[in-house]
Amino acid sequence: MAESRAVNEDRDGRAADADDAPPTGPRRLLIALYLVFAVAATARGVVQIATKFDEAPLAYALSLFSGLVYIAAAVGLITDRRWSRPLAWAAVGTEMAGVLIVGLLSILDSTAFPHDTVWSRFGAGYGYVPIILPVLGLMWLWQTRPNAARD
Amino acid sequence: MFVAGPLVGDDRRVIPVLGYAILAAGLVLALWTGIQAARRRPTSEAQMIGAIVVEVALLVQVVIALVQLFGGHDVAEPVTFVAYSIGVLLALPLGFYLAREERTRWGSVCLCFTAVVVAVMMLRLLQLWQAPVG
Repeated sequence: MAESRAVNEDRDGRAADADDAPPTGPRRLLIALYLVFAVAATARGVVQIATKFDEAPLAYALSLFSGLVYIAAAVGLITDRRWSRPLAWAAVGTEMAGVLIVGLLSILDSTAFPHDTVWSRFGAGYGYVPIILPVLGLMWLWQTRPNAARD
Repeated sequence: MFVAGPLVGDDRRVIPVLGYAILAAGLVLALWTGIQAARRRPTSEAQMIGAIVVEVALLVQVVIALVQLFGGHDVAEPVTFVAYSIGVLLALPLGFYLAREERTRWGSVCLCFTAVVVAVMMLRLLQLWQAPVG
C-alpha cells in the first residue's frame, strides 16, 4: 500500500519541486489563515457582544472589530483588483497595531481587556498565531510588491 | 450505530468517544499532510479522501450533538457550542478546496493547517460539552 501511494505522489508531485512555480502558494496559505481567523474572531465577537457585552464593552467591541479586520485582509488577499493590495496593506497593518496594543493592554489592565479576545496576550489563546499572522502578511505584501524588481 | 445497548441514553459518553476519535483523526491528517508539505509535494489522493472521511465523521458528530443539545443536554455555553459546531464543519472544505487548486506543497500546508484547526476546535467542543453547567 505504501508503494502504490509513493507512485501516486511522484506523479502528482512533479509540479511541486520546481522553483519557478508561480508565487501563488504562500498567498493561498495566507488566505486560509485569514479566512479561519475571520470566522473565528467575528463569531466570537458577535457571541460576546450578544451574551456579555456589559462585562467588558471595549474589549468585546474590539473583538468584533478584529474579526472585521481579518475579513478585510482576506478580501484584499483573495481579490485581484486595483484596491486589493491597498486594502490588504491597511488591514494587515491595522491587525499588527491591534494585536500589539490589545496584547499589551490585556496584560496591563485585565479588567477592561479580559483574556478572551483573539488579540489578548498577543494571541496566546490561539497559539500566538494572531501575532505571527500579520508579520507573515506584511512580509508577503512587501516581497510581492509590484515595483519590487525596479527597486 | 456507534453505541451498544448499555450506552443508549447516556449522552455524556457518546459524543466524547466519537469526538476524541475525530480529534485524533484530525491530528493524523495534519501530520500526514505536514510530512507531505515537508517533502515538497501536493496532497495525494489518499489524503483528499482522508479529509472527506474526517469531514463526514464531523458532520455525524455535529448532528448527534445538536440533536442531544436541543433534546435537553445542558452545556455551560450553548451559543458558543452551536457556533463551534457549525464552524468546525467549515475548515476542511476550505483546506480541501485550496489543496485542489494549489497543486504544490502549499496546498498540503493549507490542508495541514485546516486539519489542525479541526483538532483544536474539536478539543474545545469536548471541553464545552463536558464543562459543568453553572
